[in-house]
Amino acid sequence: MRNSLFIILIFLLTACTEQVKQAESINRLPHIYPDYIGVTIPAGIAPLNFQVLEPSIEKVDVHITGNQGGELHVQDQWANFDIKNWHELTEANRGGSLNIKVRAKGKEGKWQAYKDFKIFISPYPLDDFGLTYRRIQPGYEVGGNIGIYQRDIHTFEETALMQESAVPGRCFNCHTPNRTNPETFTLQVRGEGGGTLVQKDSVQTWYNTKTDQTKAAGSYASWHPDGRYCAYAANAVHQSFFVGKDRNIEVYHSFSNIVVLDTQTGELIVSPLLNTDALEIFPAFSADGKTLYFSTSENCNVPAEYEKVKCSLCAISFDATTGTFGHQVDTLLHGPATDKSYIQARPSYDGRWLMFCRAERSNFPVSQKESDLWLMDLQTGKFRCLDEVNSPQTESYPNWSSNSHWFVFSSKSEDGLHSRAYLASIDEEGKVTKPFLLPQENPLKYYRNMFDSFNCPDFTSSQVEFDIRTARENLFSNERVQVKIKE
Amino acid sequence: MKNIDLKYYLASSLFCVIVFLFWLLGFPQAMNYQEQNQLFLFTNDYFWNDMRIAGGLADYISEFIVQFYYVPWLGALLLALMFVILQQLTWKLMKQHSDTYFPLSFLPALFMLWHMGDINTLLSFPVATILTMFAAYLARSMHRGFDLLIVPLLYWLVGPTVWIYVLLRCIEKGLKSFWAMAYLVGIQGLAYYAFLEQWPRDMVITGLNYYRIPMQTPMLQIVTPLSIVAVVAISRWIKSRMILTVISQATVIATASMAITDGYDSEMYELLKQDELVRKERWTEIIERAEKEQVQNAFSSQCVNLALAMTEQLPDRMFQFYQSGTDALLMPMVRDNTSNLPTAEAFFHLGMINESLRYMFDIQQSILNFKKSGRYTKRIAECYLINGNYAVASKHLTVLGQSLFYRSWAKEAATYLNRDDKMNTHPKWGKLRQLRYKEQFLYNYNEKDKMLGLLFTNNQQNRMALFYFMGQMLLDGNVQGFTQYMQWVQQYGGFTQMPAGYADAMKCIQAQGNLPGSEYANYVQRMMKEHEK
Repeated sequence: MRNSLFIILIFLLTACTEQVKQAESINRLPHIYPDYIGVTIPAGIAPLNFQVLEPSIEKVDVHITGNQGGELHVQDQWANFDIKNWHELTEANRGGSLNIKVRAKGKEGKWQAYKDFKIFISPYPLDDFGLTYRRIQPGYEVGGNIGIYQRDIHTFEETALMQESAVPGRCFNCHTPNRTNPETFTLQVRGEGGGTLVQKDSVQTWYNTKTDQTKAAGSYASWHPDGRYCAYAANAVHQSFFVGKDRNIEVYHSFSNIVVLDTQTGELIVSPLLNTDALEIFPAFSADGKTLYFSTSENCNVPAEYEKVKCSLCAISFDATTGTFGHQVDTLLHGPATDKSYIQARPSYDGRWLMFCRAERSNFPVSQKESDLWLMDLQTGKFRCLDEVNSPQTESYPNWSSNSHWFVFSSKSEDGLHSRAYLASIDEEGKVTKPFLLPQENPLKYYRNMFDSFNCPDFTSSQVEFDIRTARENLFSNERVQVKIKE
Repeated sequence: MKNIDLKYYLASSLFCVIVFLFWLLGFPQAMNYQEQNQLFLFTNDYFWNDMRIAGGLADYISEFIVQFYYVPWLGALLLALMFVILQQLTWKLMKQHSDTYFPLSFLPALFMLWHMGDINTLLSFPVATILTMFAAYLARSMHRGFDLLIVPLLYWLVGPTVWIYVLLRCIEKGLKSFWAMAYLVGIQGLAYYAFLEQWPRDMVITGLNYYRIPMQTPMLQIVTPLSIVAVVAISRWIKSRMILTVISQATVIATASMAITDGYDSEMYELLKQDELVRKERWTEIIERAEKEQVQNAFSSQCVNLALAMTEQLPDRMFQFYQSGTDALLMPMVRDNTSNLPTAEAFFHLGMINESLRYMFDIQQSILNFKKSGRYTKRIAECYLINGNYAVASKHLTVLGQSLFYRSWAKEAATYLNRDDKMNTHPKWGKLRQLRYKEQFLYNYNEKDKMLGLLFTNNQQNRMALFYFMGQMLLDGNVQGFTQYMQWVQQYGGFTQMPAGYADAMKCIQAQGNLPGSEYANYVQRMMKEHEK
């Protein structure tokens, strides 16, 4: 009896799958969204579901074969894979590849078979839980319904950490963990009643980092690896708007300096070399914590001289035992001399690489169409443009996975306005693979209806535990730990 | 008995007709305002997005109804039906105890009408109230044990108006139902801790989407539900007496009168009317209304000036109307969902497409309950189309295509995607492509006169830019500039004689402001007085 039921069940399931007969062969690759053709992915990532963007498609039939074994077949309106089966297949083919055979049925009932393509499975694992990012509509002065989210990259599950509805009327910056560790993170709520939140081991502390000697609260944070110090840029960000059709916004800072918060003592470390008349911005501690990278540009008369803002990429030594900076700033890449701007440096956590943005100008690459990702080998000092991941549109906000073999970044490559999170891998020689768009269950529907940009995507090694109720109560109570300048 | 019932039905029908006319003829601009602050989509995602919070079903139904405000008579009809349903449900709940206080059955509906005069009151509140009362009516013969299921279910579907249900059950079932109040407190607490952590506790208690401004609960949002409970309690416990009947009638009449006089601020609704007319491009009507009486603020000045410009009367008549100051033509950015609408529209008609896009985007982002707007999305899509950013335009058109009233427009607009040749021949978009700036520079509000001048030199067919340029210099008191650029008016204005407004301004300038009867001199003197203050 049980066997009969099983057979009936199998029959019912297979009855829904149409057998593809006499498919017309099309001698080209299919047009699919997202473009996953030839990408390299980690084993265990969420399924790379995709839509076939050929005219009048009624149904797609996708057959995947692993070169190290295993296969997967799906027939649906779009390539919609079962998570468990996908994980099994990708794990079985770690370091190998998947061959994807796509056939599509048009409205007239005829099947067409396209050229097969490959998806490569990296030998490097990506064991981090997922990503955190801020979703915000890429607009002008009003943020609207912004929110910080975490996303399990092994499934499609996204959960909100902090949404605008939770803290009405407050605008908040991105969540910054310490080298992907969610036990330690910071975020900043801007404007009146704002503050800087530091959460360590589930304990939240709200700081007022503005002092008589620092002109603004901190943003663009970076943690020292030991988790005691956190560097911020204290600045005032502004926007101006273009009247012509090809550009919308120029973002600039009227001032910017770098400070370091000692979360153990509640003191701010202020170095005269990081608090000059120039604009020091986007601090980033090196993997060993002995160096702080940052960008600096001359104090231009913005917005009038917006085209003159050229950032140099610099480094200064830092002694964590004494909480002091060195006496010399080294310029790694000179902005004015090369007529470029080098911003948002992100050292890998294994100490090998330094990724950064290069743009024609500005200290805020997100609004620069020409902003591309570049990579410096910290062993040799050589650097190069990451053509493998760049597009004619903006690339920015790179961040590393905990094992430094993957990085995530924002790209506006789709439409020039909305930034999306892409992931790519890097090997020991610095070879970078074709990036893939953060997978979604129904990617076309998700991204077409998504008007938010993905800001500051970063890896989180495990799930972020954040009590938004406590955060809200503390935020609205206006009780802050007032930081003092370290003498 | 039959005659009494007939009288009651006639009274309810009359109420329905009055409410219908109230919205259709009295305050259609209120419906226009509500409609342009949301965009109902016929998608599963839209439904489930509403349903994920407490009160989601009421939100969904209300947003479904509000979309029909696009057709004013239909919106007014739906509102009239809602009000009469509210009154009838009140009456039915009262009548099960006593049928002597019929006039009081109008009281909650009148409080609701009063409350809806506040433009931030969302229709979700009356919808939730009606659904709750309907549930109370259906449950009247049910055992109170059913409330264990009904209370949480109703809370999730309609929100905190479920308190009406609980209180009505207490009136009906007596002390034995008082546990339901504690139960409801527990349900709300559970919802806050388990499902609604991204909302402030106060909003979980008072309603997430009854009022557009978060963390605010107007008094009438409490008084209206209490009035329902009160009138049912009166029917239940207070025996009929002539004096009470007279008092109840007087209360209803007083509430009705207060609802109209206190609930509907005439100046604010006049501004909303102007905005509605700007949206519908009924320029002559704007001018005619302003000729009778004009609200004296920047919003009104901009609406009237835009209407004058669109009918080519700005050079002649600008200073016949109230001018608020240097912001009377174009306003700086204000973070709310209405103030900048006339400026955004003026930018669009002038050909300052990026500025129109920016203002419209920020206006939409300023809708405090995070809704999209059909009107704003449509304008944003137009701006992207004109700028040739077809990928982003397509996203906006896709959304509009999921709505009822913007679908056909979006479908037609989509035929222009990636078709520069077709775009260039479009009567409006093609023209605006010619009018917009060709150079790239940064917008500067403080130098708007120069930007308007550049816009005109960019395309000398853009007479509206010329009118705004000259008008702005007059508003700024830039006498030298106005005199200097009068030659542009003569050369490009297309006038056979100097426009009356400019002639008046020139005379005023020559008389150094001492020109009795001069409209421009009056403006200058008023500005000087305000400056001195």
